[in-house]
Amino acid sequence: MRQIAIYGKGGIGKSTTTQNLTAALASIGKRVMQIGCDPKADSTRMLLGGKAQATVLDTMRDNGTGGVKLDTVRHTGFGGIKCVEAGGPEPGVGCAGRGVITAIKLLEELGAYNEEFDFVFYDVLGDVVCGGFAMPIREGYAKEIYIVASGELMALYAANNICKGIVRFAENGDARLGGIICNSRNVDNELELLIEFSKKIGSQLIQFVPRDNMVQRAEINRKTVIDFDPTCKQAEVYRSLAKNIIENRNFVIPKPMAMQELEDMMVEFGIVER
Amino acid sequence: MARSVTINPPKMCQPMGAILAYMGVHGCVPLVHGSQGCSTYPRYNIARHFRESAEVAVSSLAEDAAIYGGAKNLTEAIKNVKSRLNPALIGICTTCMSETIGDDVKLIAKNALVPGDAMKIIPASTPSYVGTHLTGYDNALRTLLETLAAKGEPNNKINIITGVINPGDIREIKNMLRIMNVKSIFLTDISETLDTPIMPGGHKPLLPDGGTLPSEIVDSANSLGTITLCRTAGSAAVYLKNKFNVPAVLDPAPIGVVNTDRFVQNISKLSGAPIPDEIIRERGRLIDSMVDVHHYMFGRKVAIFGDPDIVSAIVRFAAEAGMNPTVAMTATRHKDFAPDIKAVNSEYSVDTQILEGTDLYEFHKVVKTYGAELIVGNSKGKDIADDENVPLVRVGFPVYDRVGVYRYPIIGYNGSIYLLDQMTNAILGHKYDPNKLHQ
Repeated sequence: MRQIAIYGKGGIGKSTTTQNLTAALASIGKRVMQIGCDPKADSTRMLLGGKAQATVLDTMRDNGTGGVKLDTVRHTGFGGIKCVEAGGPEPGVGCAGRGVITAIKLLEELGAYNEEFDFVFYDVLGDVVCGGFAMPIREGYAKEIYIVASGELMALYAANNICKGIVRFAENGDARLGGIICNSRNVDNELELLIEFSKKIGSQLIQFVPRDNMVQRAEINRKTVIDFDPTCKQAEVYRSLAKNIIENRNFVIPKPMAMQELEDMMVEFGIVER
Repeated sequence: MARSVTINPPKMCQPMGAILAYMGVHGCVPLVHGSQGCSTYPRYNIARHFRESAEVAVSSLAEDAAIYGGAKNLTEAIKNVKSRLNPALIGICTTCMSETIGDDVKLIAKNALVPGDAMKIIPASTPSYVGTHLTGYDNALRTLLETLAAKGEPNNKINIITGVINPGDIREIKNMLRIMNVKSIFLTDISETLDTPIMPGGHKPLLPDGGTLPSEIVDSANSLGTITLCRTAGSAAVYLKNKFNVPAVLDPAPIGVVNTDRFVQNISKLSGAPIPDEIIRERGRLIDSMVDVHHYMFGRKVAIFGDPDIVSAIVRFAAEAGMNPTVAMTATRHKDFAPDIKAVNSEYSVDTQILEGTDLYEFHKVVKTYGAELIVGNSKGKDIADDENVPLVRVGFPVYDRVGVYRYPIIGYNGSIYLLDQMTNAILGHKYDPNKLHQ
């Protein structure tokens, strides 16, 4: 069982990418579980066809820890993918990070990991803002991390920051960076920039995902591209991503860049003006 | 101190101090916004020091509250306390958990009240991992005043900020003010609430009699001035000065001759009351008591630990009485602590070692180096005193291995006499052949 965490700047397309990726894996017969670690609880809606799912923490709040059953918080979506949403507090109150820790521990107690899975994916909120959101990589759950980024400065800045978190946890555990996934924003020189960035931090660009309206069209229909139109070009891209991840053997402790170095690189590629 | 651990810290967390401040207000129920243990620990300390039970409510946060916020628990706790005890005030203190998850306690408290509610809620912020019990006392007291104090007619009273001292101390200060014929407001007053008399007729109130009335706290904005007995609780005095122009006097704790003189003079200056003969006679008895024991105590090495105001005042008193204060230690940092002791060192040609913000492990090491024939501090110093084979004179909070210590003053002229007698008797009992003491 390979456990994989997906990180990246807020709004970069982590959930979209992860769902298309897990759908692609499922379509070639892989057994997959996807756990959304974000209070917004919108990580699995395209796999479940838009069905609102009872989150682990909502169920726990209503019924107490003892009242949470695996069947009520885990649903089967496209291609037999087991879908879980950790959930969390309302905006502005409580501690969402603690929620992630509690939810994952509870899932473990409920035996969510006891089945034979080929892959378990953690789709984690924007940035590693606190210890809670590092939970999937710090306690030996996910040993592989992929960062979704684009050619925009803040996306790379966030990716670089996440690398700092990975370095911290790699020192005491097995968490390693498996690569960068570029979810294209149609920025000039984006592919070259992302290849260079990946190289600079000691990793690789594992897939370039071009911008394609097909993704939006599928999303409006509450489906992944793989589900909506498996023959389209974009579906092929996600299958390529799935294949690259299956075959990936390149796992590293990243070398985050200094802010100045990062900005210099952006200037070099004409993204930021001097 | 190049150590990354603290060993035997003689300090407690903020809610402990905040609860003591709230317990000194009549009809005020402290409510800890935290997990169950956050109220158990202070209640335990109150029970074993004062031998009184304390009504301390708790919002009883558990894991779900950590995630979803504590609003539901706190709202329910306020409702429960109101329906069971119907207090005039609820004094909230926050804890590690509620501060970390960032509960908006002010807003939750406001929403928990119905319009026209007579009950008031004091929303003090007392994160347990910042400062010590003294910080908590200071925060709670200041929040009490910020919430309640209001400008009115001048009242010709003097505000006395007590800080963490004992009921015996407060009663002694009240005595002095009575002799001087000066009216006062105590901020706050645990002398009755935590040393409760059992009255004839089986009168057993739901909440203890005594304590500062909420109306007195409102009125504290109209006083002639504010005097702190402990400067660590001084931010409320500064608040009254800045907001209501009430003069603030933040001087050393009135222990020993010089510090008590200063206190009496401050009272006289602020109130215009003359210093009566009876006070001067008390002072004279203190000086006489110092002369009486001089041959036993001269040059005696004494090491003192505890809260900064109490420690620095006892250091000065020990020097006044001819002793040799070797070590002064406090876990709570305060800007006046080191200057106070340095002044004693230069005035009396002693060399008191200053330990600030540290622990009893460090204190013990320094005691071994600089020597002590007597240790003054709370019950946590027992093992060190045993190890050094010297007596421990118990002062401060908590004292849990002797009874009644809280009943007797160490403050004021009379309190100083009592303290000095305690110290002398400890030396007599320890250093002298009991068969030769008649000489």
